[in-house]
Amino acid sequence: MAANKLEQIFKRQKEQKSPNKSGENDNIIQLVGFIVGTEEFAVPILSIQEIIKPIEFTRVPSTPKYVLGVFNLRGTVIPIIDLRAKFGLGASKQTEDTRYIVMKYKDDIAGFVIDKLTEAIRISESNIDPAPETINQDSSLIYGIGKQKDRILTILKVEGLLKRDF
Amino acid sequence: MDEMQEILEDFLIEAFEMIEQLDNDLVELESNPEDLELLNRIFRVAHTIKGSSSFLNFDVLTHLTHHMEDVLNKARHGELKITPEVMDVVLPSIDMMKSLLESIRDSGSDKDAGLDVENMVKKLDAISKGEVPPPSSSSNSMAFESSPEPIQSVQKVEVHVQKNETKPAEDDIDYSNLSAEDVEKEIERLLNQRMEDDKKRRKELRNMGKDLPTAPLVNINDEPTPAKVEPAPKVIETPKPVAPAPKPIQQSAPAVSAPKPAPKKQQQQEDSKDQDSKSSAIEQTIRVDVKRLDHLMNLIGELVLGKNRLLKIYNDVEERYEGEQFLEELNQVVSSISIVTTDLQIAVMKTRMLPVGKVFNKFPRMVRDLSRELNKKIELIISGEETELDKSIVEEIGDPLVHIIRNSCDHGVESPDERLQNGKSDTGTVELKAYNEGNHIVIEIRDDGRGINAEKLKSKSFEKGIITEREADSMSDKEAFALIFKPGLSTAEQVTNVSGRGVGMDVVKTNIEKLNGIIDIDSEFGRGTIIKLKIPLTLAIIQSLLVGVQEEYYAIPLASVLETVRISYSDIYTVEGKSVLRLRDEVLSLVRLSDIFGVDNVFDSGEHAYVVVIGLAENKLGVIVDTLVGQEEIVIKSLGDYLQGIEGIAGATIRGDGRVTLIVDVAALMNLAKKVDVNVVSKVKNSGGKSKQKKTAKDYCILVVDDSKTDRTIMRKSIEPLGVTLMEAADGIEALNVLKGGDYTFDAVLIDIEMPRMDGYTLANEIRKYNKYKNMPLIAVTSRTSKADRMRGIEAGMTEYITKPYSPEYLMNVVQRNINLNVEMA
Repeated sequence: MAANKLEQIFKRQKEQKSPNKSGENDNIIQLVGFIVGTEEFAVPILSIQEIIKPIEFTRVPSTPKYVLGVFNLRGTVIPIIDLRAKFGLGASKQTEDTRYIVMKYKDDIAGFVIDKLTEAIRISESNIDPAPETINQDSSLIYGIGKQKDRILTILKVEGLLKRDF
Repeated sequence: MDEMQEILEDFLIEAFEMIEQLDNDLVELESNPEDLELLNRIFRVAHTIKGSSSFLNFDVLTHLTHHMEDVLNKARHGELKITPEVMDVVLPSIDMMKSLLESIRDSGSDKDAGLDVENMVKKLDAISKGEVPPPSSSSNSMAFESSPEPIQSVQKVEVHVQKNETKPAEDDIDYSNLSAEDVEKEIERLLNQRMEDDKKRRKELRNMGKDLPTAPLVNINDEPTPAKVEPAPKVIETPKPVAPAPKPIQQSAPAVSAPKPAPKKQQQQEDSKDQDSKSSAIEQTIRVDVKRLDHLMNLIGELVLGKNRLLKIYNDVEERYEGEQFLEELNQVVSSISIVTTDLQIAVMKTRMLPVGKVFNKFPRMVRDLSRELNKKIELIISGEETELDKSIVEEIGDPLVHIIRNSCDHGVESPDERLQNGKSDTGTVELKAYNEGNHIVIEIRDDGRGINAEKLKSKSFEKGIITEREADSMSDKEAFALIFKPGLSTAEQVTNVSGRGVGMDVVKTNIEKLNGIIDIDSEFGRGTIIKLKIPLTLAIIQSLLVGVQEEYYAIPLASVLETVRISYSDIYTVEGKSVLRLRDEVLSLVRLSDIFGVDNVFDSGEHAYVVVIGLAENKLGVIVDTLVGQEEIVIKSLGDYLQGIEGIAGATIRGDGRVTLIVDVAALMNLAKKVDVNVVSKVKNSGGKSKQKKTAKDYCILVVDDSKTDRTIMRKSIEPLGVTLMEAADGIEALNVLKGGDYTFDAVLIDIEMPRMDGYTLANEIRKYNKYKNMPLIAVTSRTSKADRMRGIEAGMTEYITKPYSPEYLMNVVQRNINLNVEMA
């Protein structure tokens, strides 16, 4: 009996939800926006494990410049990657707003240094364009370009960011 | 179903354990054919496997083991003499048994192992026939063979019974002697009896069988057996509906093989009787999945890190609150936690330990086969097989040992004739010994063969282009011995089945290096060779030496550290562009850890340096570091997928202060050291004064440090006519940050002495610590005029000392002189 009831409730909930969604006739994607250099980027909120303030890290030799090293996140050793360097932007000093975003894709995990967090963004999939062909070489890093009312964001592909390319 | 599965797994684990023992016993038997106790033991193993496999419906295996048992039985009764020829058949038959068991383990069936069992059976029969004259006895043995097979094949039994009614009574007795309390055996005995009896009696027996707890197992058989005849249906009536026999088994199960056999099954009792004291029958053991042990080990690792952290915090607290009451209590808690953690860690490590005998066991057989193949007389003496090692290591050392022993047998030990000529006994000995030495286990392989000819090795390596002629000349014998580990090198005149391809010793080296082990070779030409493998006891938690390189820290596995020495740079010699150190009677190549890992040389390391002598396999290297921090127990953590396989780094660990410290991969470090070709001495000399060409006055840059804005302005005004670039800082700290920031390269610094936060003396001191600022002019500009102040300034590293007030021209001149400004004034 109880199980039946539960099922009914679930059903109702589903019914309530789905028309809403189909009403917008699109999937909403939740993103977290951040700034690196002068541009705004975003990654899917679900791929973020956590966001922390900068902590001390240890340099790892024989790695590209953008790999700053590794840091200790509650007992786990995690690589830290400087997105500024990775995107070929000039280095800058850490500020009050600098954060490490720890991103995860399957078993891969790494922290990324960003200049500033902006906000959590809800964007419907129809507002996301594929990456322009001209930036082909970087396309593995870019999922698409999100259009908001007054701005555009580059949505990054987390698996691309976490892929080792050296 | 599950029960069946469990039984099957246990059977396999036990069978593999027994076979290991069997191999050794058989080789021993060859030299001691009269040893009845040995024979009985061997017989019992074959018998037990046969018994269990018949319960589990492995017909092929039963068939084979039965014939083996038959041969052994004859030997046991003195009807068959154990000769090498007999052994040549028996040993392969055991191999076949192994393959069958493996096939069962992998595929759950012994049917499709693809082995010519019939052929082997025929050979076995031939042997047993060879000794027992009347042909009837062979048919006798045939009947005997099928007797202990599962009941489902009763029809077979029946046929045989008809074939030979005159079954020797002794077989019957054997079984009863043997099995005593063993239920399983009991059934077999019953089966044997039944063979002699008629059908009616057999029915009775079956009823008896029902009473026995394990009896249903015997009866289970849904598998199609070859043509079931009349008695079969009755058998199947038996209540237990157990499933179509064997299911594929988990791979991991046989691999577990905990140090001691499990006590679960009835066979165990017999099994343990077979083994030596280490597994006495009363011992209580439990089989545990290795994964669980690994998990446990990981948790302990975390605990050790926590402990380290706690110790560190305690030390900090102790400093700050010295003499406080609570410190004593805290101290007690911290120490007891630290002791318990260490004990716990040792205890868990022990659960993972296996006797190295697990690996050694296969060698008597191997040496025996080799000696026959090579027509040599070789005796293998094993000692210390009870020495224990971590499971993962035990698994890794098998291959290297195989190669070394093969080498000793093939290249080391001479042929009997040659030995006699050289005044040795015709039997060569190869000694395999294991013993503990500190945190290591040493495995020693010693042969009394012809030894290594260092000269021949050198010329051969030169021929193959592995070394240059010059290298060959300057090589010591010991260094030459190390050449045997080079791939592609073999001194064997011809390639044989056994060795000569020059691959084996390379494998040895790679595997031992993987374990952070050290190889030591010693050989006397004509007298023999000793190879020592020094291997750490465990891999997950290791002792390490923490070293400091400039601002960074690295952990070097202590297992690879031979010693540390403090040297002065004048002790370093340069040979062919490489830096070397004469250490006692050895010449050691040197490399800077900072060069290998590309550490920025920001500090000057002074006249002295520390050299950590690391050894791995047969190589030695001196690594120059700036500081030795100390010894610490560390837990190896992976760097994760993203940073996996960075050359020179084996992993990371988390230190007591929560920072990550990288662990040096000693093997890779040695390789990297070859590529880094920097002369240590010249590096030290040159590092100070590298500067870019300056063309105009604007390229010169001067830092003015003074807390008073007015003073800074006065200085600025005085120097400005030179046209140089000027930067300002308000105190020592700020100045140091500007210098560290590295945005500008300064040619001189003007320093006021009286400043808040950091005064001018301290600033000068700090600046001089940096290599690149070693020779930078530091000009004190101060109102302190006493001689003592001047002296202090010089001590702190000031180049010039100007007292206020000064004329602008004077300051300008001093600056100009100090920065060697030759450009025309603007």
